[in-house]
Amino acid sequence: MAEIKKVKPTKILDHFVHEDPFSKGVAFCPGCALELLLRLIPRVLGNDIVITGTPSCSAPVLLGQNNQSWHTLSYFGTLMTGAAANATGLARYYRKAGIDNTVVCFNGDGTAADIGFGNLSGAAERNEPFIYICYDNEGYMNTGIQKSGTTPYGATTTTTPKGSIHKGKNLRRMNLALKMAMHKIPYAATATLSDLDDLAKKLKKAKEAKERGFAFLHVLAPCTTGWGHKPEDTIEVCRRAVNTNYFPLWEAVDGKIRMTKTVKKPKPLSTYTELSKKFAHMTKEDMQILQDDVDYEFCILGGLSVLDGECQLPVSAED
Amino acid sequence: MNTQAKIKEKSKTQIKVITGNGAAAIAAKLARPDVVAAYPITPQTEIIEQISKFHANGEMDCELITVEGENSAMNAVMAASLAGGRVFTATSSWGLAFMYDAVLATAGARAPVVMVNVNRETPGIIAVSSGQQDMISTRDSGWIFLIAEDCQEVMDVVLQAYRLAEDFDIQVPVMVHYDGFYLSYLSEGVDIPFQEDVDTFLSVLKDQPERTKLIPGGKMGCGSHGILGGYLELRHKHMSAMERAKDKFDLIDREFETIFGRSYGGQVEEYRMEDADVVLVGSGSMCGTIKTVIDKKREQGIKVGLLKMRMYRPFPSEALIASLKGKKAIGVVDRSLAFGFKGGPIYTELKAFETQLEGSKMISFLDGIANTDITTANVGQMIDTICDLAAGKEVREVTWVCYPEAHEALPKTGGQ
Repeated sequence: MAEIKKVKPTKILDHFVHEDPFSKGVAFCPGCALELLLRLIPRVLGNDIVITGTPSCSAPVLLGQNNQSWHTLSYFGTLMTGAAANATGLARYYRKAGIDNTVVCFNGDGTAADIGFGNLSGAAERNEPFIYICYDNEGYMNTGIQKSGTTPYGATTTTTPKGSIHKGKNLRRMNLALKMAMHKIPYAATATLSDLDDLAKKLKKAKEAKERGFAFLHVLAPCTTGWGHKPEDTIEVCRRAVNTNYFPLWEAVDGKIRMTKTVKKPKPLSTYTELSKKFAHMTKEDMQILQDDVDYEFCILGGLSVLDGECQLPVSAED
Repeated sequence: MNTQAKIKEKSKTQIKVITGNGAAAIAAKLARPDVVAAYPITPQTEIIEQISKFHANGEMDCELITVEGENSAMNAVMAASLAGGRVFTATSSWGLAFMYDAVLATAGARAPVVMVNVNRETPGIIAVSSGQQDMISTRDSGWIFLIAEDCQEVMDVVLQAYRLAEDFDIQVPVMVHYDGFYLSYLSEGVDIPFQEDVDTFLSVLKDQPERTKLIPGGKMGCGSHGILGGYLELRHKHMSAMERAKDKFDLIDREFETIFGRSYGGQVEEYRMEDADVVLVGSGSMCGTIKTVIDKKREQGIKVGLLKMRMYRPFPSEALIASLKGKKAIGVVDRSLAFGFKGGPIYTELKAFETQLEGSKMISFLDGIANTDITTANVGQMIDTICDLAAGKEVREVTWVCYPEAHEALPKTGGQ
């Protein structure tokens, strides 16, 4: 038998020090970004996290069936309407009882940006001591690909189909991460799966930040089934989302916004949209509207990030 | 030392004039909850104001979560409860409606939450007024429902609720109901229990096996999918716990008496029922008025009694049957409506046991809806009608006591 050579781990792998608590084969689609993210979180943060999940694409794996589970983490199945409030209740009780804890409130964009935004915002306003992660697949994928608040302009879903009059979503997406950063929380950041070093660092920073209060992570998680890209292209979709500034990587530490990856020469947006069928029908004019929206968001972000040092968030008040 | 001696020894009392809401807030404080989450709504607001004051003054050592809506209040306390904490929240009407999905989830998770619901009319028609429609609209949520009559009972039943909800054999959330406006803002003398006595009363729970708790690294899940037999197993266990809650509540009420010297009869309170021929069945603040009228009617030789429902879920059918069996005529007073049924909701449910009541005739009274006062005159009229029914006269099956105009259009249906 050949001796297995001990290979020095790369810098990225250094972050993933804990075991993967999930079963090898689980009920996600091939090429699912959510699965990769879900496996990485406990590998970085540890297997002693308490993770919450809603009815969503994550539910079949994150929440058990009867008395069986796909993983060995402590978990709490929440309602979409009250996920952040459930996490609040857990974190507050652990604090009262003196139990060390890392509560991870793990939700899709339907919960975070739409039906559960009120309590997400409320938890952030109260600076609740837990980590909220939104995996953004830009729609309600588990119910069969419907439009959400983060679905981008032009994209087709089953509730924004391509018809003879309307062709895809005719509204712009909301920028959830920027909205959350405006809550004066200790930590808010964006991340995606093409930049694992960046993602892992942000998970760790979120864990540090939750000692001071609310930490928010917005992770772009392309959906091969819902977006219509090839399973093997998932990471490439993430990479191009970053390289076109469609999904810039940034963080706000105690209110100070900075880019964590600067794209020197952003690629045209078409290099990103060409990989997914949900954009395939879009006209040149529609593409321009989407490009303008991406430019507008990036412009705001740029404006905020150059203010670094000028606008200092006061030390958070502890209750 | 026997019980009587113990009671006598406690010559010291602390009676204060406080509101029903004040009583609820003090009871919550005495129970020493770990986590309190609540959102203001009329007529409940005073409870969370008082708790906030206790918290601000360091009199209450809890995590106080000033949530952005009732839905979050219920979600927060449900999770804190499943993590292992003692919790409290309070709401009313529209707030109860807004937390409805979480109310169902809390029951399904068997989280031993204690919540006060100050009864008020529900959304549909804006009504800042009393009524039990909110309670009725959530009756099949899987919670235990208790109802208090006066400010003292508000205090006492909140404490009893913790013993019931957190009992190892029960583990079902408990909602304590009392009439908004009538009790929420009514000030009356309340004997406030001493902290050490409350600690003793609740210490029974500490001696029980520890309930399952969701703790970090504990490799446990809350909220799995219930599939086929898994779903049915949990539902059946929940139903069984509801049945056990009946006798358990009687027991808790008796234990309460040994420490505090007050008892209410458990699931139901009987007032002058022993030799009664005719009976009014009621709940909540109306019972004080009914008792006063009964005393007067008794002076006139009318053998009338009151059966007060202290527990509404589980439906205390055995206690009701035992008490009502063989009575000549029964009138049920409902402070809410059962849409699609002519009679009130409690009346309609009691009708299901008609055969076990062995010939007792039953009629329904709708009164006190939308803050219409259930006056002594109204109660007198109800008792007269029940007496007519007992005497074999034709009476309406359903009487809108608070809205006689209703009968200009409705035909008489007869109660026999």
